[in-house]
Amino acid sequence: MKLFEHQAKELFQEAGIPIPEGKLVSSMSGLDGVVEEVGLPCAIKAQVLQGGRGKAGLIQLASTGDEVRAKSEQILGKLEDGHGLLVEQALDIDKELYLSITPEPVSGSALIMASAEGGVDIEEVAQHTPEKIIKEHVDISEGLLPFQARSVVFELGLKWSEVKQGSTMLLNLYNLFQKYDAELVEINPLVITEKGDLVAADGKITIDDDALPRQERFSLSRDFFESDIAYEASQEGIPYLKFDGDIGLLCAGAGLTNVVYDLINYGGGRVDSYVEFGGPNYRKAAKALELMMKTEPKVVLIVTFGTIARADVIAEDLVEAIKRLEPGFPIVTAIRGTGEEKVRDLLGEVGLEPLEDTEEAVEKAIELAGSAER
Amino acid sequence: MSVIIDSTTRVLVQGATGQEGRFWTKHMIELGTNVIAGVTPGKEGEDIEGAPVFDTVRRATEESPADASLLFVPPGFAKDAIYEALDAGIKTVVVLAEGIPVHDALRIRGAALSAGAMVIGGNTSGVISTGEAMMGFFPYWIERVYRPGRIGVMTRSGSLTNEITAEIVKTGFGTSSLVGIGGDAVPLTRFAEVLPLFEEDPETDAVVIIGELGGTMEEEVAEAIEDGTFTKPLVASMGGRTAPKGTKMGHAGAIITAGRGTVEDKVAALEGAGALVADRPSEVGELLQSVLSKVG
Repeated sequence: MKLFEHQAKELFQEAGIPIPEGKLVSSMSGLDGVVEEVGLPCAIKAQVLQGGRGKAGLIQLASTGDEVRAKSEQILGKLEDGHGLLVEQALDIDKELYLSITPEPVSGSALIMASAEGGVDIEEVAQHTPEKIIKEHVDISEGLLPFQARSVVFELGLKWSEVKQGSTMLLNLYNLFQKYDAELVEINPLVITEKGDLVAADGKITIDDDALPRQERFSLSRDFFESDIAYEASQEGIPYLKFDGDIGLLCAGAGLTNVVYDLINYGGGRVDSYVEFGGPNYRKAAKALELMMKTEPKVVLIVTFGTIARADVIAEDLVEAIKRLEPGFPIVTAIRGTGEEKVRDLLGEVGLEPLEDTEEAVEKAIELAGSAER
Repeated sequence: MSVIIDSTTRVLVQGATGQEGRFWTKHMIELGTNVIAGVTPGKEGEDIEGAPVFDTVRRATEESPADASLLFVPPGFAKDAIYEALDAGIKTVVVLAEGIPVHDALRIRGAALSAGAMVIGGNTSGVISTGEAMMGFFPYWIERVYRPGRIGVMTRSGSLTNEITAEIVKTGFGTSSLVGIGGDAVPLTRFAEVLPLFEEDPETDAVVIIGELGGTMEEEVAEAIEDGTFTKPLVASMGGRTAPKGTKMGHAGAIITAGRGTVEDKVAALEGAGALVADRPSEVGELLQSVLSKVG
């Protein structure tokens, strides 16, 4: 779960990480009094989850009250959803740094990455000048130790007066990482102002979805998703992705889904959506088909080769759902694995013929997608 | 001897009394797995397919020592159950649960490494030595999918395992042991850590890895081949070549971020080290034929 910038900054503030003076507004009327509160010049930042806000014109600077209103109106006009605007005091920037913490799966630790080259796309820095990124592994059962935080900050080349602020900030950021089960906490840019203060000018926090049951403060509401279907799928715990094609891919198991996705592309077909009901979700085949119907695919391809995902349970569920929902699109099936001996009879009830070979099923789906009327 | 488990391995099953636990414990025993006991708090005195059930792992292992433990517990309880097994001195733990929180996984991995134990999973179908013993859920009785043989398999995907083993069987081979590494972003044991077991296993002639986009596990396999740690022929099936960047493709671990984890990189690393890479499952059998005929 990616948090909106204003949510990340709320957590920063609670953790003692300095942020610019700012106010969240949801509409033009909310702008009254904001300039007085925040000061001029200020930055107007759209609260959306997509990256590249600057390039998309979703972050703009304004130096007069009139400009604030005009630019806010312009940005709000571009937003279909999201959390409105964050209006923030603009900072006098001396330097821009980068700071983040992520899980490091190989050693089972937390990984701090810091760079004096902040404010830019850190992936570019990582690719072209990896030596400019400072890395520090943190033993997750001990937590970040003060000497480690100091070492990282000294390596950034800060002045002594800035080092203390920087290492406190890093320790506080680590506390957030740990407390909220984060997959990412990132400050980019971390600004050093002309006065020598360290301020988090932007903030990104991603909470591990699997930890949400114990992170009661956060829940995935509709505004975190691109569509109603994506939201509904998430509520069911069903992975769902939307592309732009004509074949709806309904598979049990992510690994198999990825391979079938490749096979469709290799064969010149185009995947329209991806609904995956494998593993512990295998008893949700009917719900998955229901979701799939809402995406209006030309053809649906159902592929399973289950271990725990029992073919008989899946087939039974699908047959019930097909009888009840009467989908108007052709369905190609290859439903195999545990319990497969019962599948042929079950699917026969609704006129479906289970194929045995994945590639054969993919070819058939592509063929049907090419000829079917939309 | 096979890898991780054989018919002499004394297996404990934590959480055996649930619906899936009972269904699969029965199949495990039917295959020949030496299930010595089950553990479910509050269920001591019951039995699971003839094996006694205890309230705690300590009590179960005091009664009769265990070599390995299989966990059918839900993801939120996985960490506690794994620590309970490690505390009792069990050195091989297989955890099937999908959705173990990442921070728990980091801690578990740290604890396992310092205990000198191997914790396998989560989000896996488990481990099977074909025709001998199993911890997990593989439909080994389907003959076109599982046949005893001399190919070792390691996989990041449960759903793709049957697809690939069926191809292996179709070309006339069979499998020795299968190890489900799992699809999570923090696998508790990594491909490269299981590879030495297959290297030493006299019943394994070649290894197939079922990889996908995301993470660096396939690159670590390539390194093990390059530095001579692993010398047997290796064939990799790689899913997610056409996956869009930045999209989590179902598995938590299946994502390309910061330009890392692309299938192109993994294929280049593996091929550079001398492994063969299949574009699609149906090529795995042919590639195995080509490498094994060379070996003779």
